[in-house]
Amino acid sequence: MTDLTALDTLVPGPLSLAGHRLGTPQQAGALTMVPISGPAHPGFTPPHALRPSRATGRGQVELTNPDAGGVAIVPLHIGHLHDRAPTRALCRSALIPPGRTLRFEDACCVQEGRSGHPTGGDPRFLVLPGELRARALALRGVTDHGKLSDAIADLNARHGLARHGHLDRLLARHRPALTRFQNRLEPQPGQVGALFLIAGRLAGVEITPDPAYFAQMWTALACHAYGVAAHRAEPAPPARAEPYHAANLAELRGALDHDRSARLAHLTEQITAQLTGPATGPVRLREEDRHQTLRLSTLIAPHLAGQIVTDGDRAIYASLFAHRFPPDPAIP
Amino acid sequence: MDTPTLLDHLRTHDTALTLPRGGTLRWDDADLHRAAHRRDPEGYALLALAPGVLPWQRARVLLRILEATQAGLDEPARAVLARLARVLTLGLPPGHVITVLLALRRLRANHKHTTRTALRFVLEHPGADALIAARRPALLDCFEHALGTATARGCARRIADGDTTSDYLRRRLLRFLTTPRTAPARVRALYATAPTPDGTADDPAGPALTEPALTLDAPRTRPATATATDRGDIAATLVHLYRGGPAAALYEALGRHLDEAAAAFPRFPGTIALVLDASASMRGHGAREWALMSQAAALRMVLSEVCDRLEVVETGGDERAPRGATDLATGVLDALGADPDLVAVVSDGHENLFPGDLARVIATLPAAGVTTPVVFCHAAFTADDPTPPPPAPSLPRRAFWHQDDFADLLSWMLGHCAAGAPWLRAFLHTRLDDLDRRADALTPGLAA
Repeated sequence: MTDLTALDTLVPGPLSLAGHRLGTPQQAGALTMVPISGPAHPGFTPPHALRPSRATGRGQVELTNPDAGGVAIVPLHIGHLHDRAPTRALCRSALIPPGRTLRFEDACCVQEGRSGHPTGGDPRFLVLPGELRARALALRGVTDHGKLSDAIADLNARHGLARHGHLDRLLARHRPALTRFQNRLEPQPGQVGALFLIAGRLAGVEITPDPAYFAQMWTALACHAYGVAAHRAEPAPPARAEPYHAANLAELRGALDHDRSARLAHLTEQITAQLTGPATGPVRLREEDRHQTLRLSTLIAPHLAGQIVTDGDRAIYASLFAHRFPPDPAIP
Repeated sequence: MDTPTLLDHLRTHDTALTLPRGGTLRWDDADLHRAAHRRDPEGYALLALAPGVLPWQRARVLLRILEATQAGLDEPARAVLARLARVLTLGLPPGHVITVLLALRRLRANHKHTTRTALRFVLEHPGADALIAARRPALLDCFEHALGTATARGCARRIADGDTTSDYLRRRLLRFLTTPRTAPARVRALYATAPTPDGTADDPAGPALTEPALTLDAPRTRPATATATDRGDIAATLVHLYRGGPAAALYEALGRHLDEAAAAFPRFPGTIALVLDASASMRGHGAREWALMSQAAALRMVLSEVCDRLEVVETGGDERAPRGATDLATGVLDALGADPDLVAVVSDGHENLFPGDLARVIATLPAAGVTTPVVFCHAAFTADDPTPPPPAPSLPRRAFWHQDDFADLLSWMLGHCAAGAPWLRAFLHTRLDDLDRRADALTPGLAA
């Protein structure tokens, strides 16, 4: 499949994505996922290996990196799902050295109990829906376990649910549809990241150290981080399919190829315009954490925000999302 | 009406035949059945045995073949219709058959084959005694219509007087039956005026009227919790292979299961092009990992045994390593390039690479001069799996999740192409032979 374009020309500023390329986009309803392939940086602890331990305070989370050799990059805005325990989400990413435990004092409670989630086995994690991420990032460092309650209640209300600060109300109500996003879109072999659009508008960019790390993030990104808004914007299926002008199979194949090329070109333009066009203000970068040569920074650009991990000038991890979420202005 | 449309009607149009008191028979799709019967009486009648045909539609076929004259049909065709009538009278709920026989009375259909079928049902059905106890007036009407009222009552009078072997009885009643010795007692019961000892005479309720004596479609049990390995022997073996089980033993078992499954189908002397979705979602994850892919692969393997030529076009990855995205439109174009008799798309329905393209390609095929039928086989996790919107709504679509669905699926698939018509007829003849044998075991001596 033809690659769309190299990514380093699209993301300006301090995030060098040299070697990363966009693949052929996939679409499921309102959600478009453009695979990102690129250099793998193996050796980081995969996210499923991170073990949350019981913390004393309601806004506290302790994560242990059990890997004796690899540094853990804690994915931005993850919340671990526990049986019979409140789910807490993190407002920031972090670097955890091999074998070390890190206590987060600024976590937030997103639901009081875990109802309806599959039980047994390892606890799995969610990533906060895009609608909550800007607020969560802004409140990093603030010790108040209920700091996202209002935002969650607003989100529930926008989805037609009771105005309540429990994220599970929303996730449980729409679980079948949200879960299907992980199948409706299919990660590519060697994929280390993705660019997400909702209803044609840029919603976020996710880069991970290697394909295995991305594979473990996939469900949480597709179903929670971007699936929630995409589900709300799900378009009605087209009433009828417009036939191509073709008098035989060869012409039909030609018409299909031509049409696809045109659509890819249009999408590339659309993405380029959204990544580079609105960048009329400064890109602010603030270092938050470091381990050896790794740097964790918060990036605030005019159209995107999030956190990145760099090693020298190489981007290892990035989780950037649109300030305005859902990004389609047509969605209130 | 073409065979797929008729089959679809027989599998979906679920309204009862009714006989309002004093009114005319309510048979809402009579024209459709009569037209199909006129075109090919034997082929039409055999479709009643296709898996998944609804009981009330089977009852309509029974009604139609008993209503219509057999003039012009050769002896083999009449024999097939007679066997079908027997199988249907045993394989339908008795209440349905009674409705059909009463409808024949309203329609004043009294051919010899009508008489034979009615008398054998009333007097030789395995549950005849219970049926007479439960529906005596209705069955009496059927009996008197079959023989004519005067003849029926004449027979009954003679039987009441102790006659069981007279020439009159033989010529007018017993010659239609296969076990004449059981008839006198049941004719006496038909004309008995006293209620049954338990007082339940003429009570239309009860299992005798709802449970067929012969099972036409094997009952399907749905597990409370579906897993990747409870979808039939072939798929289960494949899942164990995919998971890295002992290859030698599993391949041996796979061959055995495949032979058993393929033996149920006649040979298809044509070409099927299979567009096999081998994308990442077909592999699945967690408890569902391999469930869809193994079932799709099982279907591919059975088709490769059944078809003279099977062209497989994989999209995404391949059977052993499903990966990547789903491009069904290109897959269909590639498949059509093999000049097949039929293109079958097997997928979970998530067309995420240029979604909508499959629908546009399908919409263009007529203008592009392509007449090859294309069907969509939806690989589902369970029978109750929520179905995603079809990638091309205009495509004929059928879901499957278990190996037991293959009989239904293959007859549906091959019913769509002209080359499949002889295959479908051979398949249904095989089913008729099998049901006939089971009917023989059910009613010894009750041959068609």
